[in-house]
Amino acid sequence: MMKSSFLSSLRPLRDLLLLSLWGFCILWLSYRGLLGLYLQPSLQPYTLGSGVFLLILAAFSTRRVVINGMGYHQEHHDCCTTHDHCGHGEETVSTHVPYSEHSHDHSSDGFLLSVKTLLLLVPLVMICCGQGTKYSISTIQNRGVVQDLENLPAAKPGNIPSKLPAKPVSDPSAPSTVSLSPTEAMPIQVIDLLYAIQMPSYREEFLGKEVEMVAQFVPLTTGNPKGDRFQAIRLFMTCCAADAKPVGVTVKYHGSLKFSEMGWIRITGVPTFPMEGGHRTAILEARKVEECEAPDEPFVY
Amino acid sequence: MHLAVGWFHFSLPDFQYAFLSIVLEGVPFLLGGAILSGILEEFLPQSLMTRLLPRDPRLAVVTSGLLGVIFPVCECGIVPVVRRLMQKGLPVSCGVTYMLAAPIVNPLVVLSTLAAFRGQAAWEMASLRFLLGLSVAILAGWVANYFSPKSILRSWVGTAEGTPHHHHDESRTILDRFQNTATVATKDFLDVAFYFVLGAAAASLFSTAVNQEIILPLAAHPPLAIASLMGLASVLSVCSTTDAFIAATLTPFPMAAKLAFLVFGPMMDFKLLFLYGAAFSRRFIVFLALGLFLVIGLLCWRISTLNLGW
Repeated sequence: MMKSSFLSSLRPLRDLLLLSLWGFCILWLSYRGLLGLYLQPSLQPYTLGSGVFLLILAAFSTRRVVINGMGYHQEHHDCCTTHDHCGHGEETVSTHVPYSEHSHDHSSDGFLLSVKTLLLLVPLVMICCGQGTKYSISTIQNRGVVQDLENLPAAKPGNIPSKLPAKPVSDPSAPSTVSLSPTEAMPIQVIDLLYAIQMPSYREEFLGKEVEMVAQFVPLTTGNPKGDRFQAIRLFMTCCAADAKPVGVTVKYHGSLKFSEMGWIRITGVPTFPMEGGHRTAILEARKVEECEAPDEPFVY
Repeated sequence: MHLAVGWFHFSLPDFQYAFLSIVLEGVPFLLGGAILSGILEEFLPQSLMTRLLPRDPRLAVVTSGLLGVIFPVCECGIVPVVRRLMQKGLPVSCGVTYMLAAPIVNPLVVLSTLAAFRGQAAWEMASLRFLLGLSVAILAGWVANYFSPKSILRSWVGTAEGTPHHHHDESRTILDRFQNTATVATKDFLDVAFYFVLGAAAASLFSTAVNQEIILPLAAHPPLAIASLMGLASVLSVCSTTDAFIAATLTPFPMAAKLAFLVFGPMMDFKLLFLYGAAFSRRFIVFLALGLFLVIGLLCWRISTLNLGW
């Protein structure tokens, strides 16, 4: 009982520490440019702002600890022998118990408070250990590779480009037109080929042209009797990495396929759009496949 | 660490990645709700709510549902607020409606639903969530009107009527008032963050370790999909300001099932089962849980049969 009361009395200090740690972790992630690994760009400012506000709350918590000391909750327990919060008598700032503290959430009881505190530290430990910044092949297989835009929630007709881009669609800084030499492969994204499956006019722009795309390597374990096919995927993020869906196309390549699973590869080849199993599909006939560095922007939005 | 058993393939790094992304995405909304709660607590007089209600009980219930737009409180903070308001004379039926509606019609919840479902019929989902949540809450309030407060409330809640209200000291400086705002916000944030972290962990496990092809047969049948996502919403017990981000990742399921998840969860999840016990009788809570499950399930099933183009 005494131990429980002691732990409860530490709650103001515990609040201060948790707020500070959460705030600093978020700001640290933002400073290191790592928020982009987790969040869609438009949501990153909100998370950054929450880091700042958490530190502001931590500053107020510091003031509270300085003014009230550690006896804050003990006062509450002393006055709380019944479930009738009447008559707190004179209330000055130093003895003021906020309304929310009257809610009979006696979660401040030692054991539960300790469990809650430990659990709230778990995400921070993960961040500090640098764990979890990309998916393995198992999650990709669990989620299934989307090869039909109808299974991609964020892909709506309004998003379909009317003209073939001269630069990857995820690169907003790219100029609208780029002069390519006749021998130079056109840079595209995986998702461009999925759009092309849906749109005949868009598909025509690919016919006979050599393209180049950067994607992640996923071996094809079924429907690959000759062993010359694999999937080239990119993760399509709607809001955060948790909702990222793998989108991919089949690549046919006669060379060696000894690439690491989910490793980044650059593929050069000619897209084709045959009918397979009654559905039009995209198959990239690759001339060259080579390992490459991960792009600055690993996701497609 | 990897663990593979049939359709279950757990990878710790993948779990951590999904988990952290949900947490980082949800924190601003969680914190926004907590700060708003602190501001309302400190700067808005509680008596204003009871003054706003019309005298007609049925109209009062409707107004109580809409009060959630003006007095937004998330489901974790709603029980003590409603209990206090009922102690001060708010009709129990209005209290039930406000308690069920406020976490859904809350503007922050509407905004977070819009953000989470961006590209997935966001406006349709946000407006249907608002309308369905409000309608069901009003219906629950009207039904509660037919029962005596004694059969609904815990005995000590009823007898506490007339308890002197906790008054703020008028001589406090603005800094002291901000201090109290921050204190309330801190407590709300850390309390709710605990449940949110649990929910994010469960959702991450589901989204990374479970082969989604296994649950596809369930997702393909609207009644089963709706019932299963309502069950999932209860298990996850995620705050209504952030649950949309989890629902949006359940891509194999139909939108009507996600709607059921978003309406049922903030009204009756596992953590609320315990929280409601602070004010309401066990019998009423069981009745409320079953009623909400049936009504929301049937309405969402009906919605799934409409051609809404989502």
